[in-house]
Amino acid sequence: MRRLQTRPRLCQKCILPETFPGIKFDEEGICNYCRREASAVAKAPTRKAAYRQRLDELIKSIEGKAPTYDAVMAFSGGKDSSYTLKLLKERYQLRILALTFDNHFVSPASLGNIRKVADCLKIDHISFRPPWPTVKSIFVKTAREDIFPGPTLLRASAICTACIGLVKSLSLKTALEQSIPLVAFGWSPGQAPIQSAIMKTNPAMTLQNQSALKKAFPSAVRHDLDQYFIPNTYYETHEKRFPHNIHPLAFFDYNEENIMHELSDMNWQCPSDTDTNSTNCLLNAFANQCHLRRHGFHPYVWEIANMVRHGLIGRHEGIEKIYREQDEIMVEYAKERLGLRGKDTKDIHGAR
Amino acid sequence: MLKKGWAYEERTRKTYTERVESMSDIIKGKVRAFIVENFLFGKDDNLNDDTSFLDEGIIDSTGILELVSFIEEEFSISVEDEDLVPENLDSINNAVAYVDKKM
Repeated sequence: MRRLQTRPRLCQKCILPETFPGIKFDEEGICNYCRREASAVAKAPTRKAAYRQRLDELIKSIEGKAPTYDAVMAFSGGKDSSYTLKLLKERYQLRILALTFDNHFVSPASLGNIRKVADCLKIDHISFRPPWPTVKSIFVKTAREDIFPGPTLLRASAICTACIGLVKSLSLKTALEQSIPLVAFGWSPGQAPIQSAIMKTNPAMTLQNQSALKKAFPSAVRHDLDQYFIPNTYYETHEKRFPHNIHPLAFFDYNEENIMHELSDMNWQCPSDTDTNSTNCLLNAFANQCHLRRHGFHPYVWEIANMVRHGLIGRHEGIEKIYREQDEIMVEYAKERLGLRGKDTKDIHGAR
Repeated sequence: MLKKGWAYEERTRKTYTERVESMSDIIKGKVRAFIVENFLFGKDDNLNDDTSFLDEGIIDSTGILELVSFIEEEFSISVEDEDLVPENLDSINNAVAYVDKKM
């Protein structure tokens, strides 16, 4: 078993470390973020109920109106997106198109889970796989440097931010092209607060968001990525088709044990070749290590601290997820595939 | 008498203008504090009143809803779906102007 790292001082309530930007501890050892979030934690049950009702109403309003599918779901095959898919299918009987972004690092066990879950739920599934040279150039670039603005990197690694940016973009593009009124994500309750869990997208906001994402990529890479973004003409021609984004796990009951139990009914199996924060991606351990060494805190710590604060996972479990050393075998596997072993290692682990 | 009335009117008008300005300042202060605390984790070095939240990666489209929720609760206004556009929410100044308009 991998050992826990030598830990910095942690908040006594959540698991944020003393190295996290802007953190302060009070005399009880509790951090300013826990104090600040106390009212959000108290309001959570009421908010969750209100958002469940909002989703019920939204789904009622689109019922039977879409020409093909009611929802496109960003489906990684990991536990959260698999569970979200099950929830949307079984609770609402939605016609769903599951879309997997194959980043060339999907665990073989996860590919098996994708097929099992889609078949079990009788859901159409498509996989989108950009060519390896394109994907490799993005991951090499983001492994070596933080190409995104600082605030973005407080909540996710540069590698993850690049990958998720493409997932979001492709999901929206699919929805626009097929007049699908909902785009669903399996974000965990710690990734984004309840208030952001249902959003009507619109051309102006999307355009600016996409421009900012594109701008972050170096020009040489940007050209290769053009076809994954929303074409400029769509903002006018598909103006009326902009869908609602939903991430239901923010407001439905979330219990990892129950989720695993429900998934096992579909013969979903937890991959053994991924890190403690992913159940589908073989690149994540390396992405985490790059971020940790550059920033001094784990890229998942904000998400997991939120979940601990809201009582969705235990503090000890949170510590296990965040402060265990990244598996060296997984890290080396990713470096090897990206051609980043040897002399390049120094660049990746550059000084903070 | 006339002069006194004019002076009174001027004074009243000025006070009103000042009141509006100070209200905008209050809104600005609250919006800024929210952004700095929630998205910049206390570091506001490069945040000007016109800094674009989306361009600078301070907030993404999902984060905009956190700002919306704050605005709705703090200023007791309702933000409609069609108001979720950059000119209303993509900088401190835009958000302040939007809240001003809605109040």
